Amino acid sequence: MKGRAIGAAAVCAVAVVAIVVLGVVLSKNVVYFRTVSEAVEERAGGGGDGRLRLAGEVVPGSITETARGVRFEVTDGEATADVIHRGDPPDLFKEGAPVVCEGRWSESDVFASDRILIKHGSEYEPPDVDSGEKASGDKASA
Amino acid sequence: MRAALGVLALAVGTSAAVLGIATLGLGLRRGDERLLRNGRRYVFVVLAAAALAAAAMEWALLTHDFSIEYVAENNARATPLLFTITGLWAALEGSILLWALVLGGYLAFMARRFRERATDPLVAWATLTGLAVALFFFVLMLGPANPFKTLADVPSDGAGPNPLLQNHPLMAFHPPMLYLGYVGFTVPFSFAIAALVTGRFGEGWLADTRRATLVAWGFLTAGILLGAWWSYEVLGWGGYWAWDPVENASLLPWLTGTAFIHSVIVQERRGMLRVWNLSLVIATFCLTILGTFLTRSGVVDSVHSFTQSAIGPMLLGFLGIVAAVGIGLIAWRGDRLRAPGRIDSPVSRESAFLANNLLFAALAFVVLLGTVYPLLAEALQDRRLSVGEPYFDRMTTPIGIALLFLMAAAPALPWRATTGEVLRRRLLVPAWTGAGVMVAAVVLGARELAQVLTFGLAAFALAGIARQFAVGARAHGVARVVRSNPRLYGGLVVHVGVVLVAVAIASSSSYSTKREVRLRSGESATVRGYTVTYLDSDRERSGQKTTVSAQVRVERGGDDLGVYAPAISTFPNSTSGIGTPSVHTGLREDVYLTLVSSPNERGRVTIGVAVNPLILWLWIGGGVMALGTLIALAPSLQRPFRRREPTPAVGLRRQNDEEREPVPV
Repeated sequence: MKGRAIGAAAVCAVAVVAIVVLGVVLSKNVVYFRTVSEAVEERAGGGGDGRLRLAGEVVPGSITETARGVRFEVTDGEATADVIHRGDPPDLFKEGAPVVCEGRWSESDVFASDRILIKHGSEYEPPDVDSGEKASGDKASA
Repeated sequence: MRAALGVLALAVGTSAAVLGIATLGLGLRRGDERLLRNGRRYVFVVLAAAALAAAAMEWALLTHDFSIEYVAENNARATPLLFTITGLWAALEGSILLWALVLGGYLAFMARRFRERATDPLVAWATLTGLAVALFFFVLMLGPANPFKTLADVPSDGAGPNPLLQNHPLMAFHPPMLYLGYVGFTVPFSFAIAALVTGRFGEGWLADTRRATLVAWGFLTAGILLGAWWSYEVLGWGGYWAWDPVENASLLPWLTGTAFIHSVIVQERRGMLRVWNLSLVIATFCLTILGTFLTRSGVVDSVHSFTQSAIGPMLLGFLGIVAAVGIGLIAWRGDRLRAPGRIDSPVSRESAFLANNLLFAALAFVVLLGTVYPLLAEALQDRRLSVGEPYFDRMTTPIGIALLFLMAAAPALPWRATTGEVLRRRLLVPAWTGAGVMVAAVVLGARELAQVLTFGLAAFALAGIARQFAVGARAHGVARVVRSNPRLYGGLVVHVGVVLVAVAIASSSSYSTKREVRLRSGESATVRGYTVTYLDSDRERSGQKTTVSAQVRVERGGDDLGVYAPAISTFPNSTSGIGTPSVHTGLREDVYLTLVSSPNERGRVTIGVAVNPLILWLWIGGGVMALGTLIALAPSLQRPFRRREPTPAVGLRRQNDEEREPVPV
């Protein structure tokens, strides 16, 4: 019976360790979804260190091509953020387009994006399809 | 007219389900055999009604009857014939109809198979449970998910199916396969509930549902891999799996279902794990309902959107009822479920199966947590977030490798206990083969531990399987190996498929090269030995679709591999462009071309070039898994395996006993 008790204790220990690892890995890989004003406010307050998705519209006239991608501004009407994107933006990326940029803040408070998702309407989503996000062909280093 | 026919069929189906449940319930209560025999006949009415409703919908689609809202939303006059037919499963309401049709089919097969045992309470309860599930889906269709809802203003043309759904013929096969898998788990679920209610949770219900479970599992496997293939060929982001909630929804029941078909063998053989098996079947069924809920209620986009229709709450409610009934029944029967046997040695077949099951359950939990965490965070804390792919990759890789190890070693372990001598004889050569391959992989440049382990364990597993075939061939002759025990050798063939899939995943996930090149007409770029030259582009309209495609020549070391045409299509009913990748497929590697952006004002295009190794083996592995499942379904020449208690001690067992032991499947 003693062997059984030790076995049960070992199983519990393994389970506890596994759950802790699970929690840590999960919390490290959560990508928060923020509007531009929420993200800017959070950044001003000293937060926003992790990876996040920034939702807004591309400010007309702000798009410039860089050697490695594009630079533009996104806004949600209240706040505006500078974005540098590595890689070519997807085909539907244009002035005024609603976009979600995934990346993190650089030290100079420019948002370094490596993935641009074009937002879609609330059309039906077929099985096995993310909301068309993958269709953007832009998953470079996500 | 078509709408009226459809609604009539749905009403008939609903009534037949209600009458069937009532007749069977009454018959079980009174022990009236005549009622039980009558009750089972309603199953065929349910099937006929579902088939009639589906036929009415196909008729409406083919005749472009836009007075039906579903047709107007998912069909247009210009929609090609194939995608008009597949319109049945292009959206929610039609999918539920397909679901009901498939369920009717499974229930009718079940009723026919057990026609001699119609008065057996186990079969009667299982039929009743199946009819109750069917009733839920019929009520769903008569209520919030009515596929035959009509429009007061009939439009002159419909919107057409979602662009992504009319871009590739695979769409004709992937969803029905997935449904055949999903819905098939209703059969073992019904029998599990029946076993709990009647108290006959010995091995009988497992034997009764073995084939149905395998059929469902085989279809689900094929459906998942076809989905991955579709994602690779159509979505154009270069991969086949993105840990997307919808993909995860199909994977979850597969994980618990796979655990189940392994643990069943332990119960058959040793009478253990009864509660566990019942729980796994009920969990698998719950996960299919959860999957339907996740994919069909819009909850993935936003927690707050799913209450806009009654479908989400109804599916969630049904899930709650199923889970409560299952857990309640297990708790009620708990005292009688105690297993007669117990594990004697940690190095035995049953321990390996137990470890396999714990790992599959852990894997399912990891995937489930990552999938529902964003929903919970939004519902409970109003925080919008998503769980990144690294979470899934990091958590599932070690579990997957551990499973691969078990798959390599476990089929060689004897039941109950073993000796070092047996292990040496059975595992020495395979283990050295695996070690040799690991060394070779490192020498050839593999550096990541996960990859090296995967390749080594794959070789270990293949060598072990080859050895088992050789043992079988010695005993039965080469021609009769498989037929001597289809369940064993079918299972081993499935394992070969798993090995191929694992190797393909391991190599494609770390040895892919992906670049985006900007080219003007006539310019070339070289990516990992392949020279791509942009020739020209053109624009074409067909039906509703406008396509811009780029002609790209692919060469390798002076060999012309042909001209490929990645494209972007736009549809009037969608603001987004749909990329169509163009793939040069090879046994060793694929060259995967996408048109990232169409020609700009200076005539420059951006082309995505990815070189993905061994992807083809993913699909071949899927085919091998399907083949193995078919073999395992074949009738055996041997007498069905019966549990022998007690099994003779290790030393006394015959030499060739090993190859009679069933392997998973």
